[in-house]
Amino acid sequence: MDRRKFLAVGAATAGAAALTACQGNGPGAATSGGKAGASSANTLVVYAGADTNIQDLWTKSLIPGFKKATGIQVHFQFDLHGQNSDQILNRIAAATQQKKDPGIDFLESMGDRAGAAGLLADPTGKVANLSEIPSDVLDTVEKNAIPYRGSAVLLAYLPSKVMKPPKTLDELLAWIKANPGKFAYNSPDSGGAGDSFVQTVLTKYLTPDVLKQMQTGYRKNLESKWDQGFTTLAGLNKSMYQKGVYPNGNNGTLELLLQGQIWMCPAWSDQFISGRAAGVVPKDAKALQITNPSFTGGATQCGVLSASTKQELGFKLANWILEPAQQAAIATTIAGFPAIPLSKLPAKLQSEFATADPGNMRPGFNSDLDSDMKSLWQQRVPGH
Amino acid sequence: MSTPSDTRRRIGGLLMASPPIIVVAIFVGFPILVAMAYSFGHIGGLNRTIATIARGQHTVSSWHQFSLGAYRDVFTDERFRHDLVVTIAVTLISTLVVTVLAWVIAMYLRTTPEGAWFRSGVAKLISGLAVVPMFIPVVIASWAMLTFYAADGFIRSLCADLGFQGPTWGYTMVCVAIGLIWTNLPFATLMITSGVQSVPDSLIEAARDAGAGLLTIVRTVIAPLALVPTVIALTFTAIGTLGAFTVPYFTGPNAPNMLGVDMVSYFRSYNRPQQSVVMAVVVFAVAAVFGAFYVWANFRSAKDSGRV
Repeated sequence: MDRRKFLAVGAATAGAAALTACQGNGPGAATSGGKAGASSANTLVVYAGADTNIQDLWTKSLIPGFKKATGIQVHFQFDLHGQNSDQILNRIAAATQQKKDPGIDFLESMGDRAGAAGLLADPTGKVANLSEIPSDVLDTVEKNAIPYRGSAVLLAYLPSKVMKPPKTLDELLAWIKANPGKFAYNSPDSGGAGDSFVQTVLTKYLTPDVLKQMQTGYRKNLESKWDQGFTTLAGLNKSMYQKGVYPNGNNGTLELLLQGQIWMCPAWSDQFISGRAAGVVPKDAKALQITNPSFTGGATQCGVLSASTKQELGFKLANWILEPAQQAAIATTIAGFPAIPLSKLPAKLQSEFATADPGNMRPGFNSDLDSDMKSLWQQRVPGH
Repeated sequence: MSTPSDTRRRIGGLLMASPPIIVVAIFVGFPILVAMAYSFGHIGGLNRTIATIARGQHTVSSWHQFSLGAYRDVFTDERFRHDLVVTIAVTLISTLVVTVLAWVIAMYLRTTPEGAWFRSGVAKLISGLAVVPMFIPVVIASWAMLTFYAADGFIRSLCADLGFQGPTWGYTMVCVAIGLIWTNLPFATLMITSGVQSVPDSLIEAARDAGAGLLTIVRTVIAPLALVPTVIALTFTAIGTLGAFTVPYFTGPNAPNMLGVDMVSYFRSYNRPQQSVVMAVVVFAVAAVFGAFYVWANFRSAKDSGRV
């Protein structure tokens, strides 16, 4: 290729690359085809921003089952990893303010954020199975949101390297200091596993009544109570992976675990179990729940939009997924914790979940407090 | 004296230029103004949706007021000041390195004599390699770089085999700077190479005949003629680096990091869109400084060719 040809080809590719760079993954990427399904009166539009295991759960198990049981069609809008969830939430908020149909009737997740923004319809009296959910779980969900499945953060470790895994938070903190560079948690703003670790360390220094207030509402004046916890976390910097590197995302730490660069990390129960089957988590890795305090767990909150014109169908779906059969399906397909008590599920599942102790799911901070906590962590922990 | 046909031509020209101006005004300019109004506390109108979801906002009640609360939040935050300094430092360093590398490649290509088969082969190889980053998605390049410079990566393994401790650059600003240089090199190379190539052979030969060495030729003949494309490459690299997200997000440390990452965190994780917009305004202002160079370069080239 002579120089001129090189320049001509190069200039053409520069132009082409500039054009492709302009294409983002806007909200259109997630919502294609929404209109066609939404037009029918007997079709419910469900939005889910999650991982592929949730997609499989809904498209292979829940949606066909619901159609069989009730005859209601479900149009499933799937948004991988919830990448467009912010735009979707904004669109719903805009539609609600203008009293227009948002094109979505039911949120599979994000019920916490939509509930906090006041975008959900009141399920009281319309979802009979709500009474099955333990009241301490119901206390922590946002306004009008319905918890339907749960997962908790566990301590994942490599048994070949860690002979005696820590059982309590204090033991864990001591282990981290004794084994510098072999523990990592992801930055709390990038994923729930690291977020739970930070919350758990902060909770160590809180009295039960302060903790209760933090779980149930946005009380900004209580944030000073976190000081001691943040000092402890900053003190761990030197003992962390690469002297204070906090990988991005829940799988960032699991990847380090897979490479054997670290020996222990906090991980989501469902991600850990499904990841071990898929090979992204080491086959021989184990996970346990620590105590005093335990890592947080959370209910995934679904909800029916107040702007939806098909609220009746939405509540019917919410009620249906809270039935024992569907809750059992959630437990078997995605290793999710049921929202209703374990005793309502088949005996086989009860024994399978006994070690993970899903009944003891410690709720995290209120979502606004959690946002503040992420910001404060970024300010006060890394690099200090 | 302007004749009627002159006026008609002027109006015709304006009409032909107006569609892109209108598109930019509606789809870029207007949202920027709305966002700026939001950063000053105006939460009505188009900002109402975001304002119902956001927390920690500073608001005003009527259109003629404005609040600097969000700006105070951001500027009193030590983290932001650190990150601003880091962002500007990384921008300057990568821009400088990119320009120097692009110039070296351009000069090598320009001065390869006819018939020197080995050098022309190397020149072809370099010119091919220089545009390779353009064909590799930034996300993939970032991951590759992270594994390459990680604690168990290639560099460290090689150093360990040779018997000494290599540096761990994964999750550091060094890795971010390397990544940004990688992504920006192709454009700067193409731009500067074409500028250097367009210097007429006769000028260089005349200088050589007069006894000038290579450095003198570069300094007095090629550099002045290739100044405008160099400034354009500089500004595009600087503005691209300033707003970088993917490379610093994947390969950078948690703190301090670049403002592109901060903006996303504030917007999404901390639910503080107003503060995020404030940072965007700051980045916009810094980018405007670089943009001024670009405008100056364009104006100069227009003046040189007698268009202004």
